Amino acid sequence: MEQHVVKLTDAENQLADLLQAAGAADAKAALTANGLPTRRIEEYHYTDLRTLLREVPANLAKANDGLPSEQFEDFSRIVLVNGALVHADTIDGVEIKSADVARTVGHDQIINLMDGFAQSQIEIVISKSIETPIHIAQVHDGANSVAASKVNVRTAKGVEAAIIETFEGSNESGLRFADFAMDVAAESNLLHIQLDQNAKYARQFVQNRYDLHEDANLRTLVTHSNFQLGRTDIKADFKGEGAHADFGGLNLLVGQQHGDITLNVNHGVPNTTSTESFKSIVRDRAKAIFQGKIIVAPDAQKTDAQMMCQGLLLSERAEVLVKPELEIFADDVLCAHGATCGELDENHLFYLMSRGISRADAESMLIKAFLAELFDEIENEQVHAKLENRVDAWLAAAE
Amino acid sequence: MTTPILEIKNLHVKVEEEDKQILKGVDLTLPAGEVHAIMGRNGSGKSTLSYVLAGKDGYEVTEGEILFMGKDLLEMEADERAAAGLFLAFQYPIEIPGVATMTFLKAALNAQRKTRGEDELKIPEFMKLVKDASAQLEINQDMLKRPLNVGFSGGEKKRAEILQMALMQPSLCVLDETDSGLDIDALKIVSEGVNHLRDANRSMLVITHYQRLLNYIVPDRVHVFSDGRVVESGDRELALELEKKGYAEFDGTAA
Ligand SMILES: Nc1ncnc2c1ncn2[C@@H]1O[C@H](COP(=O)(O)OP(=O)(O)OP(=O)(O)O)[C@@H](O)[C@H]1O
Ligand SMILES: [Mg+2]
Repeated sequence: MEQHVVKLTDAENQLADLLQAAGAADAKAALTANGLPTRRIEEYHYTDLRTLLREVPANLAKANDGLPSEQFEDFSRIVLVNGALVHADTIDGVEIKSADVARTVGHDQIINLMDGFAQSQIEIVISKSIETPIHIAQVHDGANSVAASKVNVRTAKGVEAAIIETFEGSNESGLRFADFAMDVAAESNLLHIQLDQNAKYARQFVQNRYDLHEDANLRTLVTHSNFQLGRTDIKADFKGEGAHADFGGLNLLVGQQHGDITLNVNHGVPNTTSTESFKSIVRDRAKAIFQGKIIVAPDAQKTDAQMMCQGLLLSERAEVLVKPELEIFADDVLCAHGATCGELDENHLFYLMSRGISRADAESMLIKAFLAELFDEIENEQVHAKLENRVDAWLAAAE
Repeated sequence: MTTPILEIKNLHVKVEEEDKQILKGVDLTLPAGEVHAIMGRNGSGKSTLSYVLAGKDGYEVTEGEILFMGKDLLEMEADERAAAGLFLAFQYPIEIPGVATMTFLKAALNAQRKTRGEDELKIPEFMKLVKDASAQLEINQDMLKRPLNVGFSGGEKKRAEILQMALMQPSLCVLDETDSGLDIDALKIVSEGVNHLRDANRSMLVITHYQRLLNYIVPDRVHVFSDGRVVESGDRELALELEKKGYAEFDGTAA
């Protein structure tokens, strides 16, 4: 392997020191050898972290027991503060425990940091269908600090369950990492939603990994709206025939926010299907990125994958950057991708205004209409309401 | 004398950022309680006039003025005009995916009430209004569960426009080719709906190509529109004469 000699930035040096303090010597070595990902690395083309991560916190977050503000009535609760398990409701058929972290070092420095900073990993085993969703509140407590969490979910065959994660943070700029892995067992039916409620200047890196087995069904939704800089890396691997997944995501950004959702879906076996629906709404000078790659393996016949990314630009200087890709090695497949990007339709606005609705309200109606498709699939009323409230607050803040 | 509902004086309009003059001196006075018809060739500027009345962006008034119940209409935003009592039934109603028809109707009615300083409608009150008005226009309630105008047939869209008009009770109704796309029965139902709204305090400007509509909605006056102007005005008989002789007799383009 070619070894580059990289002159590290102050931020990279700082992160290397913190990795050392966290006991992650291998991750430190990898970072010092390669530096943070720059635009020259394809997956980070639009999110050059050498430029975007120029300032990093000075401390590792300490374990503590700060409590989250986000509440869902009747949901079961698991609370992680700075990655450590501090509370878990007793849930029938669900085992929750904290284990030693298993670290690996690979070519992606952000994933190395994620693993390097994690001090434990939370294992959740769901062996029975559960009616009430599980809420995992991920709290980052402690100003100006680095925290990381790792959550591994496994389910038994045929299980039905919903997991709602919220990311919350203290009020000053922090840097957080969250790794989530879910093994979607055969015939199971799972929902995974992430809502971010971070502090304004937080920087957040999330990785979601899904393995899908025979006849499994999965729906996911990632929301990006509360942070300064955020990236979610989604990796899905179809390993069993008959599996289906719907991947969804939203960048709802304003000011100077930068949100990046990068998706890799690998249809590795025949007869699997997926939809990918990603939307971005940007105002001011915000930048939303969606990179989606669907790979269909040579023997993965009858794959059906439909990817759509749509952007709504509310200001002249806001940006939506999309890169949908299909890599198809099988011949009998149905795969498509589409991308649209534009402003609100003036004819729509005029029609609404001609009925007495103010411009601001007409814009809000159209923005919500743009999102309706994405949210309508979320049947849980509380979660649905949270999503809508988030959008309402976002719209109100802009007025 | 009472103030007319609408006075258009020497109105000149061009397309913004283009050198295209569309309206070239429209004069028209619409007294309270009257129904006036506008007939004219394709492309003569009838819809443009309706858009300028409703406040659509993209047009520039280069000369003239419009008074709506004595007030300068051109000073008002589209939503303010609606709240003040102006309603345009679109020639081509716009489909808006993702906006539920009922949500839209409620938002529109309440927005207008708010601008006028009135209380919001309570939900049962609102439901009853919609139910009664749609029954009269023979509109299927299922249609109202769909997104606004999305997938409505041509005729259904036109009925939905008149439903909105009935709910909003405007002082000035501008109907742009509401009859086109309606079958014979629907034409009757819609015309009855319109006639039902005729009132001493309400005026209507009915744009149409077909004198048949005017058998149902009998106008007080008929104006012939040509190349961005009213070239001839008369009573109901003018529409019949126009049908017989064609436009050339009126706009001087006879060979
Ligand atoms: N935004 C625009 N840009 C350029 N030309 C325009 C614009 N709007 C209208 N026009 C032109 O102005 C003319 C008048 O159009 P308008 O739609 O008002 O006609 P109309 O009388 O309603 O016709 P019809 O009977 O076919 O409905 C047409 O030639 C049309 O192409
Ligand atoms: Mg027209």
